Amino acid sequence: MLNLIKIEWLKLKKYPAFWWMLGIVGLTYPGVNLMFNSIFGTMSGGKGMEGQILKQLIGNPFAFPEAWHSVGYFSSVFVMVPAILVIMIISNEYTYKTNRQNIIDGWTRNEFVFSKLFDVLIIASFVTLAFTLVALIFGFNYSTEIGRTRWAEQLQYIPLFLLQSFSQLSIAFLLGFVIKRSFIALGIFLFYFVIVENFIVSFLKYKTSFPKLANFLPLEVSDKLIPPAAFLGKFNKETYDQSLTDINMHVLYTCVFTAGIWWLCFYLYKKRDL
Amino acid sequence: MSSTVLSIQNLAKNYGSIKALDGISYEVPKGSVFGILGPNGSGKTTTLGIILDVLKSNAGTFEWFGKPSGPNTRKQIGSLLETPNFYHYLSAIDNLKITQAISGRGTEKDIEEVLEIVNLLQRKKSKFSTYSLGMKQRLAIGAALLGNPDVLVFDEPTNGLDPVGIAEIRELIKKLSQQGKTIIMASHLLDEVEKVCTHVAIMKKGKLITAGAVDEVLVNEDIVQFGATEAGKLFNILQNFPASTKIEMVDNFVQLHFLLGTAQLDQLNKYCFDQGIILNHLSLKRKSLETKFFELTSN
Repeated sequence: MLNLIKIEWLKLKKYPAFWWMLGIVGLTYPGVNLMFNSIFGTMSGGKGMEGQILKQLIGNPFAFPEAWHSVGYFSSVFVMVPAILVIMIISNEYTYKTNRQNIIDGWTRNEFVFSKLFDVLIIASFVTLAFTLVALIFGFNYSTEIGRTRWAEQLQYIPLFLLQSFSQLSIAFLLGFVIKRSFIALGIFLFYFVIVENFIVSFLKYKTSFPKLANFLPLEVSDKLIPPAAFLGKFNKETYDQSLTDINMHVLYTCVFTAGIWWLCFYLYKKRDL
Repeated sequence: MSSTVLSIQNLAKNYGSIKALDGISYEVPKGSVFGILGPNGSGKTTTLGIILDVLKSNAGTFEWFGKPSGPNTRKQIGSLLETPNFYHYLSAIDNLKITQAISGRGTEKDIEEVLEIVNLLQRKKSKFSTYSLGMKQRLAIGAALLGNPDVLVFDEPTNGLDPVGIAEIRELIKKLSQQGKTIIMASHLLDEVEKVCTHVAIMKKGKLITAGAVDEVLVNEDIVQFGATEAGKLFNILQNFPASTKIEMVDNFVQLHFLLGTAQLDQLNKYCFDQGIILNHLSLKRKSLETKFFELTSN
């Protein structure tokens, strides 16, 4: 296993797109959080009663301990950035036929799929690290003295972010793995990510008698790991609290769903001509 | 240890209704340079793809070193299948590090050595994407040579090389063969096979036409063509000529076959004259490998 990771690191560390992706993540994560921080500032900064109430009611969402949740939620929107990389990594293997060369050189087919699983895991870990750093910087920056002592209260959002990223990047991987062409796979992923799933979620929620089904759509199942941040959610406390309670079950659902994706990849690769 | 490196039994592969391989069987002896020869689409690469486990056969079996194939057998074989397959953004060195790490063949020091053998040492740090077609091909051969494996599989090894490169690869293959390596090589270039192979399998449309030692399969011969006014009488007297292997009438000429390099026209002319026949036509035709190949692969 360690050897597989070592070999994948040989492939990744000199791949320019990998560092570009990290650079873009390094810009977008702080960027989107700064943007929402400024929106919150505008909402709560008014001299009127509403602003003051909001501030007192929920506190600064970018201060500890809520920073982990808020930064996680806003950063997770940008999963498409590492998704591009994941799709490129697998489609490159097909384009340059290095996937078959790896087998010719002595890997089993399972080892190849495992190596790609590790790639996705490595990328998910890097974006989780980026999220952790951004959350730490925001948290310490916006917390009061007392708030800072509460920095370790919601650390569960780090593994939740990792699981969510891994699950959603696994979907991107599956598309690249099956479709083989990066642009088509990427187009389908973005179209599904931005339009299709949102449409189906709204349809199930508002037009059918089984709105809960929406929670089990491929991206939604792991989206529920980091529900909308408190300052967006507290306007409806009941829904917000329910979404926090649902996290535990969604950890299980996400694990099952993601395991299913990888099982499919292993199965397909065993049957295929390369 | 077994004297057979690779044994193929009734291997078949279909792409839909098309039979890319139709039940082929042969054995590759240890230490041979085994050429798989055939026109485009005859199933050469499909055969190699199956024995290297990247394609799934529909029927039949094969064994490497007397054992069923697996990752450990593949690690012992240096292979170049169809095209040079490397990470385009990595240098030659980094690409070979991956080959080395996966196969376990060779060391980092060996990487420099094989790059020297294939004349890429000066460009070792250039990205693969900047290489010419010939350089890419040479890197693929270098990767196959890494760790000095006893068995090499080359699919069209001289593809994309210039004449000097082709000659170099030929010399390399001969040298490797002298070292006792077994080389399995697919090619559609008859000349290449004739110059380096000890054994050959000839394929056509997924079927094996023949397989065996080159001398047996591709017997080259001298053909002498005779013409005389009395063709029938000429035929009769030449029938008794010693050392000929075959006699036939073609377009009113008599053709006598000899082993390669053994026909001597002056002796033949004298023989006919002594038997009372005055020849009006006498010529020597060398049957090329190409003719033989067309003969074997035509219906």
